[in-house]
Amino acid sequence: MVFVLFALSVLIFYLTRGLLPPTTALAPYINPRLTDAGKLSIARAVGVATSSCPSFSDFAALQNGCITPLWTQYLYWLKNVLVGNWGYTLLPGISGTESTWSVFFGRFPYTAELDIVAAALTFLIAVPLGIISATHNNKAPDHLSRIVSLGGYSIPQFWFGAMLLLVFVLYVRIGGLGLLPASGALGTTCALCFSNPGTITAYTGVPLLDALLSRNIPYFWDSVVAIILPAMTLAITSLGLLTRIVRSNMMEVLRQDYITMARSKGLKERTVVYSHALRNAILPAITVTGLLVTYLIGGSVIVEIVFSWPGVGSAALVAADVLDINFLELFVLVAGVIIVVTNLTVDILYAVLDPRIRY
Amino acid sequence: MSHEMKQPEKNPAKSRRQHSDLRFALHLLRQNPIVMAGLVISVATVVLALLSNLLVNGAYWHQQNLTLRLCWNNPAFGWPVTNLFNCGGQVYPLGTDAYGRSLLQMIILAIPIDLQIALEVVASAVVIGVVFGSLAAYMGGLIDEVILRITDIFLAVPWILLAIVLIVVLGRSLTTLTLAIIITWWPWYVRLMRSQVIGEKEKLYVERLKMMGAGWPRILFLHVIPNSIYPILVQSTLDIGSVILTVSALTFIGLTPNPLLPELGNLSNQGIEYFFTAPWLIIFPGLTILIISLGFNLLGDGIRDIFDPRLRR
Repeated sequence: MVFVLFALSVLIFYLTRGLLPPTTALAPYINPRLTDAGKLSIARAVGVATSSCPSFSDFAALQNGCITPLWTQYLYWLKNVLVGNWGYTLLPGISGTESTWSVFFGRFPYTAELDIVAAALTFLIAVPLGIISATHNNKAPDHLSRIVSLGGYSIPQFWFGAMLLLVFVLYVRIGGLGLLPASGALGTTCALCFSNPGTITAYTGVPLLDALLSRNIPYFWDSVVAIILPAMTLAITSLGLLTRIVRSNMMEVLRQDYITMARSKGLKERTVVYSHALRNAILPAITVTGLLVTYLIGGSVIVEIVFSWPGVGSAALVAADVLDINFLELFVLVAGVIIVVTNLTVDILYAVLDPRIRY
Repeated sequence: MSHEMKQPEKNPAKSRRQHSDLRFALHLLRQNPIVMAGLVISVATVVLALLSNLLVNGAYWHQQNLTLRLCWNNPAFGWPVTNLFNCGGQVYPLGTDAYGRSLLQMIILAIPIDLQIALEVVASAVVIGVVFGSLAAYMGGLIDEVILRITDIFLAVPWILLAIVLIVVLGRSLTTLTLAIIITWWPWYVRLMRSQVIGEKEKLYVERLKMMGAGWPRILFLHVIPNSIYPILVQSTLDIGSVILTVSALTFIGLTPNPLLPELGNLSNQGIEYFFTAPWLIIFPGLTILIISLGFNLLGDGIRDIFDPRLRR
């Protein structure tokens, strides 16, 4: 686990620092108004310029002997990563005034909220769909479930999001307003929204949670209304894999002897399926949680752009435009930590839940 | 399929059984309307891609005509939005895009571009996956460990983030786009191939070949790989659809070499900008992606069900 994160840091460092000039790496740390001597001393502190480099213009021209070797740069970079020194953001509008760290973690709760709600929706839809599909093998519900899961697998996320917007914002209108809000994490202009939800105290940064903690029900409602469409987009496009796994496991479990035994005891089919078979069928589904998390984090980049969601995904694209590589690196590393920790948790959970597995 | 034809003289009984298996599978394929639909869509996509330059002049995508931009005059359907510009006399079946080009022509020109990227990505990933996956499984030990750890690293990043970083670093072109997707795609094939070969290498015929004195490259490349490549090929059919989704997602979010390029995600990108004034701009390119990707997914899914007896209906 530590190895994967270390190797990931080397990979991302090499991609962004090894292939781009060191001036790009320096940009988040310097203020354009500084004198050249000031810039040079910062370049030395960040570890990209050598102490023997005579002037900043030599450094900017990538003169021989001015650029530190890549492995030294990596050590300096790693130190900055570990202490959280990511320099100032280069995102337009706020560039140079806020640190990359605070911009990232100011936006991160929104992405986390979106992904968690989407993951919950995915499980809520995919598991019943998979069960019904297995118990009604080759009948209408099975075909329906197959269409939903394969369709979700094949729909471009941005397009599905756009179609939901088209229907629920442009065509279903009440009193001149769309049924649901078109953008943002707080819907104030739509038929179902409170137009003036008041304010909340930011305890966690996650709007749904903060609204509850602040006991502001209109704000909570407006946040719920705003998250419906983006979370549905993510959930529908991610549930294919889970549905298929629940279905095939369920089919395999239902064929086992203990199920025949349970049936021959005269138990109701519902009891057999939901209390005897489900427990064993759903276990392997937990193993795809890691994959689902990877998919949701990636998918939220696209969905956030369609719905102008104020999370890290939509900001990552702006960061890519202005070459704010620190923002991208931070995103990749945070995503890596989340995915690695999720996989570890899944492994442990699996061993706890399944007594047949012992490490 | 080819490996069954290759060595019929060695084990005629086995070959005959496999042959009848294949015939039964083809019979199931014909029986299943969903798979047939997938087959029809996939074949139609490939044919359309091959014919696209005959149907539409490839030079049209450079031609901007701003007086015709965002117009819709197909009499079959009217949008409840006001058109920005007038189409003039000619009828554009799917309207025009933000540069005044016929959207239908642009979609026809876009299909071969997307399909080519998808085929390149899948073919590269299959080659990398087959070589490294089978090496890892067959050699075991340190080689296996190293290859597996490398795939771990790539699987610990959401593909889209890695692709964004790669495209930012390497520059925006169709080549880097393809490369970025290959780099995010290959680990899956290595994993899949490895799991196949691990089961295959324990079989008796491998033992027999070893006793006959065959070297490992011969056993691996001429015997083990041909016998374990089926699931990889099925997965690659499924993945053509997914790669097209990936390419279009990346160009949709703006990682495009040229905003004028007729590529399905690129065309949709204009659509989100003019979402409320010209909804056809996102509806039709996106629908095309959906149909193509659904076609390949139905086909791959059906083939997988047919060849996996546990899932056979």
